[in-house]
Amino acid sequence: MSALDKPTFERIEAYVLGRLSADERIAFEQRLVTDAALRAEVELERENIMAIELGGLQRVLEQVRGEQVIDQERGGSWISYLKYAAVVAVLFGAALWFIARPNANERVYAAHFVPDPGLPVAMSASDDHAFHDAMVAYKLGDHDEAITKWSALLKEKPSSDTLRYYIGCAELNAGRSDRAVAMLMSVADRSGSAFAAKARWYAFLALVRNGDVAAARAVPFAEDHPYAIKAKAVIAELE
Amino acid sequence: MLRFALPVQAKADITAPPAWVSGLQRNDPKTVRLLYKEHFTAVKHYVLKNSGTSSDAEDIFQEALTVLWLKVKEGSVQETSEPGAFLFRVAKYKWLDVVRSAAHKHMRVLHDDRQTDVRAEVQDDTEEKLARLREVYAKLDDKCRQVLDQFYFERKDLATIAAGMGVEEESIRTIKYRCMMKLRASRKTIAGDEYMDEA
Repeated sequence: MSALDKPTFERIEAYVLGRLSADERIAFEQRLVTDAALRAEVELERENIMAIELGGLQRVLEQVRGEQVIDQERGGSWISYLKYAAVVAVLFGAALWFIARPNANERVYAAHFVPDPGLPVAMSASDDHAFHDAMVAYKLGDHDEAITKWSALLKEKPSSDTLRYYIGCAELNAGRSDRAVAMLMSVADRSGSAFAAKARWYAFLALVRNGDVAAARAVPFAEDHPYAIKAKAVIAELE
Repeated sequence: MLRFALPVQAKADITAPPAWVSGLQRNDPKTVRLLYKEHFTAVKHYVLKNSGTSSDAEDIFQEALTVLWLKVKEGSVQETSEPGAFLFRVAKYKWLDVVRSAAHKHMRVLHDDRQTDVRAEVQDDTEEKLARLREVYAKLDDKCRQVLDQFYFERKDLATIAAGMGVEEESIRTIKYRCMMKLRASRKTIAGDEYMDEA
């Protein structure tokens, strides 16, 4: 077997990893047509690289599995402690709840708030990977990371209702209802937006949570829209 | 509920792969984590219903996810297909194989509607190829794995790897080359080719 010099190895590597320019790739592929030894080297290097990637994938899979085990163990330890500490926990919990119980607005908010699940990343197709990276973070509960990434995109597309809506949702999920209101209301006013109705609903809930019932009442729901009916029920609960 | 809306007002590229495909193509751990989070439960439910344990379900799901990853890498996965459906089909197929093995003949199987298309999906040369790739990876020593994993799997550039390991960029480049040549030499030897020398 002849040796493979470093420049040739790196040329093949760049081809396999898709790092050649269009012209370089075309020239390389023309060589491949007539050079059987080069074709064999490409296939061997491609498979060796894939083997290394597979090793990395197994490592990540084991990490994810380990994270699940830790979660389960944490759950299990609570069960064993509950056996011995149930009475104390109940009494302590009741006292704590009484002292720090949420106010009426927060209770009503919690009863009606269901976080937006986000767009179905797995099935979506788009050339905007940055958006979907942020959506992945959002769905994993990394709201600050999602906000950071979407905010960067918003600077390029300041009028995007999609970005504004999901930044608002992420702020709300992160517990920052003040910021959520500002972002969501900027979408709620756009009658042509597919997100307008949902933005009104979440802005309404954020205002309820903030205790600003007057502003919540002023959210412009379309008459007889399901969200308008739900909003009336929420106001009735508060009264 | 709105199923899909373009993220920004930019024009969509309908030829671009779905996010989960591009995520697996670039070995994105978040994509792996998300696929795990969204689709493991269905597989676990099926395995538990069919005499398996949670640990069995984890094993089977990891194998199914590895098959999906390989199909994406080879460009042979249907990009319009739902990854959850694919993972479930493959996991189910694999679990039925386990159940049918001699060690598990006592198990009771509630559902067995394996179809030939699933067999085709899993029973091509995928298993053989995965075994071969694992064998190749096993030949690498820890130092090589440390460098090659960062470069090829994590897609870090040489400068970043060098900075993390406290060495010169050129050293990493040389280590990478030598490790890959060791791998090449071992595989050529296995293939019956006469190995002469390493560059």
